[in-house]
Amino acid sequence: MGPDPDAALMLAFQQGDEGAFRTLYERYARPMFAFCHHLVRDAARAEELAQDVFVNLYRARDRYRPKARFRTFLYRVASNHCLNELRRPGPSSSRALGQDEGAADPDSLPSDAAGPEEQARGKALESAVRKLLARLPEKQRAALVLCRFEGLSYEEIAEVLHTTLPAVKSLVHRATVAAAEALAPFEAGSFEEALP
Amino acid sequence: MKHPREDLTALLDGALPASRVSEVREHLARCPSCREEAEGLRAAVAALAALPPAPELPPFFATRLEARLREERPSRPALSAASLLSRLGTAIPYPRLFALAAGAAALSLAVGIPMRSWLDTRAMVRDLDLLQDYETASALGVDSPEDALIVAQLDRLEPGEGRR
Repeated sequence: MGPDPDAALMLAFQQGDEGAFRTLYERYARPMFAFCHHLVRDAARAEELAQDVFVNLYRARDRYRPKARFRTFLYRVASNHCLNELRRPGPSSSRALGQDEGAADPDSLPSDAAGPEEQARGKALESAVRKLLARLPEKQRAALVLCRFEGLSYEEIAEVLHTTLPAVKSLVHRATVAAAEALAPFEAGSFEEALP
Repeated sequence: MKHPREDLTALLDGALPASRVSEVREHLARCPSCREEAEGLRAAVAALAALPPAPELPPFFATRLEARLREERPSRPALSAASLLSRLGTAIPYPRLFALAAGAAALSLAVGIPMRSWLDTRAMVRDLDLLQDYETASALGVDSPEDALIVAQLDRLEPGEGRR
């Protein structure tokens, strides 16, 4: 592992440098909010969860040890927290996933620039993804979001989810198979074009 | 070779070792069933990529987080209003105290410090800083509101700034 400037910032924060924490916030507030939003598909809930991540980071500063890259460490903190919260029974967790909210989260809808047909398609896709995520086992859900929305490599996902590379390969595959079944009406393009 | 189902997704994601890539591609060339499955996987990945991006950070996200973090910070020893006034009263005459307080507040507003220093512990304990400023002013024998303003901002001045 090469030098990790974010880990250095976290260590500086550990030594009392609050400016280092601020820099980490500026770098990761948006990615953490987006990650939480991808996982729960609800802006208000995502904000609450993303704030929890930074509060937890703040509280855990004395226990931080730079064993992994800071980015994967932070995604791990966020994944654990979001999955724990989604496991909890209660109105907020059921609201976040599994219910078709229609236009309840206007922030996530396509922009006004899209035509009515595109907007309707976007809403239907959003709804299908929400239902898909709600019924995936939690590790598959996390693996899918980390891979498809956050762009993490399989190795990084293994670190975040504290599991092996073959396990990640299997998790991502099964979640993608489930997505293929759920999102068949939204298909376009061809497999050959998509290969890296 | 049995059907390399799990490898199909890894192939799409560029996560297969090079040696395995050619094996899977050869299998795909002669297995319609795997080609069909691969096509479905590719389509799912494309559909997920077509989702609208996550919204921007909500307004006041930082402000709300700042409020939560403020609760996490260890608090300084509490000073009662009576003891504060008593200490200040002995150090600085009341008229000068009010001039100092008004000047420090005005300068703070003028330079927008509260907006910029959301994670700055000095801003979090501004009331205590004000007390320290009064003590400094007293120790330095400051006797005008202008000098008091400079004292109040000593820790924000660049070297050389504020000299006359």
